[in-house]
Amino acid sequence: MKAAAPNQPTDSRSPELERFEIKRRPFLGFGLLMSSVIATLAVLIYFGAWASSDRIENRALAAGIHESEAESEWWEDGLVFACPLH
Amino acid sequence: MQNAALWLDRRFGLKEHSIAHYAWVIVGIAGVVQMVGAAIRMAFGVLVDPLVAAFGWSPGSIGLAYALMSIVTALSSPVAGYLGNRFGARRTMAAGTMLFFIGMMWTSQTKEIWELYVAYGMVFGVSQALLLVPVVPAVASWFRRHLGLGTGIMMVSWSLGPALVVQLLAVLFNTVGWSQAFMFVGIVGTVTLTIVLLYFRNTPEEAGRVAYGTKSYDKPLVTSGNIFVSTQQEFQSYVYKTNAFWNLINIHFLGCVGHAVILVGIIPLGISKGLGPLTAAGVLTTISIVSVLTRFVTPVLSDRFSAKTVMFLSFLGQGVGVFLLFTANSTLDFYIFAVVWAIPYGGEGTAFPVVNRQYYGHSPMGSTYGWQLLGAGLGMALGGALPGMVFDITGGYSWAIGLSAAFSLAGAVAIVLLDSTHKQLIPDWPEIDTATGATAATVRSPIVQPESSSTGD
Repeated sequence: MKAAAPNQPTDSRSPELERFEIKRRPFLGFGLLMSSVIATLAVLIYFGAWASSDRIENRALAAGIHESEAESEWWEDGLVFACPLH
Repeated sequence: MQNAALWLDRRFGLKEHSIAHYAWVIVGIAGVVQMVGAAIRMAFGVLVDPLVAAFGWSPGSIGLAYALMSIVTALSSPVAGYLGNRFGARRTMAAGTMLFFIGMMWTSQTKEIWELYVAYGMVFGVSQALLLVPVVPAVASWFRRHLGLGTGIMMVSWSLGPALVVQLLAVLFNTVGWSQAFMFVGIVGTVTLTIVLLYFRNTPEEAGRVAYGTKSYDKPLVTSGNIFVSTQQEFQSYVYKTNAFWNLINIHFLGCVGHAVILVGIIPLGISKGLGPLTAAGVLTTISIVSVLTRFVTPVLSDRFSAKTVMFLSFLGQGVGVFLLFTANSTLDFYIFAVVWAIPYGGEGTAFPVVNRQYYGHSPMGSTYGWQLLGAGLGMALGGALPGMVFDITGGYSWAIGLSAAFSLAGAVAIVLLDSTHKQLIPDWPEIDTATGATAATVRSPIVQPESSSTGD
């Protein structure tokens, strides 16, 4: 069975939405989203810095030198610098 | 059977036949689109070894194409959702079909790694978004009521379809080679998509029908014309101002990180605990099969009861369930985990169309759903990368399991902070007064958001 669909309006007037407004800004929802973004970045920086310090340590051990003397990539330095725990 | 169906129609006061309704054709088409569009993505693992053998590229550099595709699909999703709203799902999916064909043909002729990145990572990535994002809001527009039932059936086909097609692709790759296989999939997929799109209609009104679940007293909704476009922009601006819009992106992200870690890491974790490769793969298969049940049940329950509560239980179960892996050492332990964890996992992402309907009424949900899939896509990309990264650093998977639990449980907390799904947050989409031809929106939510709008049920 097929029911007839109604004709659609041809004007472009928006329907009456008087008195409807959303006064408050979505601070909670946006804040939760940003919290997740920041927490995710923190996790990535922590593990990235962990991996970087391991790589630097392994190179230093292989070369028989101190870690501070071992050459490191720019991103390894950056991650170790960004992480307060490494 | 027909008498029973007619009795049901009368019982529920429906305008159009409930079983032979065209909405089920639309649901079927959505299943086919997903099967064709997503199968080659899910079969990517089968592609790695042939490419290594043919070109000598490293598995890591080939895997980068998959990561690029995932990120491009995620970033394109809001645009795809907008295009679906603005130009209709059918046209948007037709554009996606063209890109699918180009992406598949180009990938089949790839000679350099950068070509793989552009053809598979970018062209195919965009086609994924154009094919898979607009179809869900289009299905929603075919359901005036009982959207949970339609969503549940669609979600089942979305999980079973690719599982079947992946097996076929594996055989194809082994018999005719990767290049011919891509050409074959590109041609057959494009022809299939073109045929099903001929039968696809964006809205019931476009097909000269009424939506499933329309009752005799329902007034028709505005679905086309200038007023449709202008009202859509106005309503979308309301959606952006709700806490739920931003939080649902966040929730989908957190949930997807939580389960992507497990889906990607369960086989290597099982092997590291002494399971054979086939037994470990069986754990993943068990998860896929058991989760089909909750993929269907979750939207139905969400529609019937509180979607917020159902989503909360799914996220909580997904987060708590992974703790079983800390003590899993035998095959039995892993299979018990697979069954127990798959139940909440199956319900993690399937209720979103129903939640959108409960919060935003019948307004077109393309843009809103597209943004939610952006969160989901980035979550899947991150969650997929975490197990390998964590294993390389720590030599084990304990940290990855802990992170999976933390992300899922954070999602559960974020759900608690959602508005009640019993309350619509914006006015309902305008209806047409059939007597006068005038349009009017029904304000079902409080006129002004209350101060305590962020509290739970």
